[in-house]
Order: sequence, then C-alpha cells, then structure tokens
Amino acid sequence: MIITTQKPLDEVLDLISPYRNILIVGCDGCTQPPRGLREAKTLSQLLELGGKLRNREFTFKEITHPKQCDSYLAASMLRPQIDGVEAILSLACGVGVQTLTKVLPELPVFPAQNTHFMGAEEREAGLMEEMCAGCGDCLLGLTGGICPVTRCTKGLLNGICGGSRNGKCELNPERDCGWILIYEQLKKQGKLELLKEFRPPRDYQIRGWRVTT
Amino acid sequence: MNEQIIEDRVAVEVNEDHCSSCCICSTLCPYEALNKHPETGKIFLEIEKCQVCGLCYSACPAKAIDTIYYDIDSLIRYLTRAKQEYESDELVIMCKGSAPDFSGIGKLFGVTKFIPLSVPCIGRVPEEVFLKALLMGIKRIHVLACDEDYCRFQRGSPVTRRRILALNLLFGQLGYGTEVITLNRNSLKVKVDRDLCIACGNCVYYCPYNAAKLDSPGAVSFDLSACKGCGLCVAMCPALALDMENWERESISNLLAELSSGMKLPKILVFRCQWAVFSPLDNGELAPNIRSIDLPCASRVDTFHILEAFQKGIDGILIASCSEEDCKQEGASKNAQHSVTALKERLGQIGLQDRLHFCTVSPRYPERFNRELEQFSQKIETISLKESK
Repeated sequence: MIITTQKPLDEVLDLISPYRNILIVGCDGCTQPPRGLREAKTLSQLLELGGKLRNREFTFKEITHPKQCDSYLAASMLRPQIDGVEAILSLACGVGVQTLTKVLPELPVFPAQNTHFMGAEEREAGLMEEMCAGCGDCLLGLTGGICPVTRCTKGLLNGICGGSRNGKCELNPERDCGWILIYEQLKKQGKLELLKEFRPPRDYQIRGWRVTT
Repeated sequence: MNEQIIEDRVAVEVNEDHCSSCCICSTLCPYEALNKHPETGKIFLEIEKCQVCGLCYSACPAKAIDTIYYDIDSLIRYLTRAKQEYESDELVIMCKGSAPDFSGIGKLFGVTKFIPLSVPCIGRVPEEVFLKALLMGIKRIHVLACDEDYCRFQRGSPVTRRRILALNLLFGQLGYGTEVITLNRNSLKVKVDRDLCIACGNCVYYCPYNAAKLDSPGAVSFDLSACKGCGLCVAMCPALALDMENWERESISNLLAELSSGMKLPKILVFRCQWAVFSPLDNGELAPNIRSIDLPCASRVDTFHILEAFQKGIDGILIASCSEEDCKQEGASKNAQHSVTALKERLGQIGLQDRLHFCTVSPRYPERFNRELEQFSQKIETISLKESK
C-alpha cells in the first residue's frame, strides 16, 4: 500500500484559492487509508466550510477513480468529467497526481495528500509503517522475509550493528531492531546460517529510473 | 466522581418494602444487575450493571420496581392523548431497534391509520398497558418486536413472544377473541451496493459480528443473519457503498435539512444513540434551538452528516454515545469516538473544533445527558455571541 496522510487544510485552501470550480478526485487504488468517494466528499465539505470562513466560495464536484496512476484509465475516465473545471484536487499518491498532470496538461492538478512510503497499516494501533523501499534488488529471500533496508533504522545489509538494546534500536528505543527481527525469523526457519553470508554493498545503479516490463 | 453518582437521580429503583423476594426480576435481568441480598432476602439493584431495558419493571408482580421511562402511567397518558390525535382504534407498539418509518410500519401490518407507540424494547411494556388499551376502546394491537437474536437487551424480544401468547389467551377467555394482538418481527440491516464496493476490506475489519466477507473477485458480501445493524461499517466505508436500512444516508440528510430549517439560533444538533438517551414519549422537552437525530448506535454517526449539518448552518453538534462497556453493539461505539476525534482534529484546522463534542452517557443517569447538553449549549452560545460581535 502507498501510505499517505492528509495535507493541512490551510495548505490545500492556499493551493486552490485562485480557482472556483474544482474537481476532487478520490483514488480507490492502493492509497492507504483508502481515499475514495467518502474522503472526496469529506474534503469538499471541509474546504467549503473553511473557504466560507475565509470569504472564498468554491464549487466542488467529487468523483473517485479506480487507480489514478494508470494513464489510460485516468485519461478515459476523467476527460468526460472536466467540463468547466478549473483545477483538479487529487486524493491519490504523488504518482496519481503526476499521471493526471500528464493526461490533463491543460489543468492544474494539486495534491491533497502527502505521500510517505510503501508500507502497511497496523489496524489496531492505527499506525502505518514503511516496509519496502523499492530498492530494485530484493533481499527478502535471504533475510527471512524481513527487509533490512526499511526495517533496520540504519538500512544495514550486514547486521547486526551492535547498537541493539533489548530488541530495540539504539537510535530510537521505540523502534524494533530490524536485524533482531531477521535473526528471530531465521531461527524459526532453521536458517541461521544465512546470517553468515556476506551481502555485498548495494549496487545503486540497479535502482533505475525506468524499467521495461 | 463518586459523590456525583450518589447525587444523580437513577432511572430504575427497587422498593424493598414492596419486594416479595420472588426473584422473577433477577432471573429475567440480562445483565445480572438484580440479586437477592444475602441478609435481607430482598432484591437489590447494582445500577452500574443496569442497562435500563425495563424487563424487570414490566415483570415484577409486586410492583416493587420503579422506572422513570415509559412507566405505566406515562404510557397510558400518552395513549389517551394519542388516540384522539391519530383518530384510530389500532395501536402499533414498536421497538425503536427494528421499526422502519411509519409508512413501512403500515405496510408491515396492512394498516393506514394507527396510533404509534415507539419504545426501546417491547419487553418493557407491562401487561397492564395492553389491558388498559383495550379498555380505552383500542380494537387491535400490533406489536413490532426485533427478531429474537437481534434484541439489544437479549431477553426482551423472547419475553414479548411469551407475554403476547398469554395475553391473547386471556383476551380470548374474556371474549375479545384470541387475535387482538398480532406480533411481527423485524430487523434493520446493512445494504451493499456491490458496484460501488472497492473491496478495501474496511467493513470486514470493523464488523463486530463477522458479517462481512470479501469474495474474490473483489466485492464484499454480508451474512445478513449475522448483521446486527449497528451501522459501523456504513460510517467507515470509504466508497459509500454501504447503507443501513431505515438510517440511509439520504434519509438522515433529509431529516437534517428539515430539522435545521425550523430551528432557532444558535442551532444545536444532537446525534444520539437511541440506547444512550431515552427520550420522553412526547419528545417535547427540547428547547427550540435544539433538535436531535436518533441513531441505531453511535457508531452509525457519519462524518458526512456532521459536516453536512455544519454546512446547513448548524452551530454546534453533540454526539451522545454509550460508553464502550454499555454499548449494545459489541463496543462498536468506541469507533465513533475515534472518528469524531479525527474529524475534530481536521475541523481544528479551519477553526471549528469547539463546535463538535462527543460524550458518553447512559439512560441510567438521565441528568448526565441533560448536563452535557446544557454545558455544550452554553459553550455554543458563547462562541456565537463572540462571532456576532
């Protein structure tokens, strides 16, 4: 899931302030928490109320989209919706915002979200944690299915660093030590010998800006 | 805090002098709040456990239990007045938990004109009320109770079945026929629009009854026999794909518009869980600037409606919920508190945070809700005054 948080309303109001007719587009794709039709309506209600207090009047239309990052889908579904629209406010991640910009170049597209990372939601605690850095060189097969790049604070490929205290990281005592998690997991799987394997420094060239399918 | 509890009037009381120690109440009480005192042999009530279902009141043969809600006198007073107002000799007694709107009720019983009597749980209505109704000239009594496994007070609905069976037999013996009272059952449940569903799984996670299932290839379906109609999934659905029978998004919006247009300033709207606040029968107790909308559970409270109310010019919104412990829906109400807190945070960004307030109350202490409402009203009045200056 792509983890996003809502932008402060003040900031959004500033972004849209030069415009009047605004299309709010939710995204039913991978944004987490879901930013679908409800969030689009909620945002429109909040912005209308906020606008009123600032003597600004907006006309909003709210729709949602299955996944804004698909340029073909985005173009075909949004084109018929933009009559009279002066600006688009997107509830998608940064990828969605950029895709809309690409397929609707005549319209300004603004983000209503801050995009953080690829992660998962711990529902009970309502916490979202980063799980994957998209490094392009997946090590999970060698580390018991736990990513050292994101889960180790220092992103060490050859842990453990020696700064681990009671299973927590020395840099942040609230945070689990990723390498302890890897150790425990490998122990469960009877694969502790994997820890002895040396993992060479990452080849940052692999993390290209473009790949072909 | 303790002193406060002692001061507050309570909704149910046992009069030891009248108690015959028969223990019918304690066998009926779904919450084990009534027990025999080991020394006096009399029944005593642990008010903190009481959920004010009223079963004990309706069943006590010695009239040793008093309640301030829907007692015999006020029910009879209401019937006398309502019989004239509605000009009918057919009475419909319905449980708030499962009653659709009045036109729905009419369809259910095949009646067009009737005297409505809406109560939280039919199990709290004593035999005496049925008898008095007949004496008043009411010819037929239709009872709409919840399905037995849907009853918010667990035993209220089963007790109703037995009570009506006995009453009809009795009426038969008296010569009124054996079908004076007809019993219908109903439940109000979730509705899903699978075309709108985005298969996010929120409802599967939140449903306290495991009624929601995500099918492949990707739309939710509900096991309606498991759904208990709290409405939490509806309030949490990010795609607006779910709705709740009788508490449809649109019907609440319509009610909201209707109420807000007729209110005095400053307008205060209360969303109340119908199990957290019991309203008096005539519902005339609210000041002209205050109106309320009952919900099946506080968890049905929808951020959409809160914001819509503000848009319609409501000055303050109070949410009255049961505490998590008292919640009749497996603690679903705690989620309402989370949603309201999150919304309040966002309202804070545009300076409206003080206009929304969430409180937990119980009908066992009627004054606490009144106090919450009074304090909130004063706050909203102060804010309104400041702004008008």
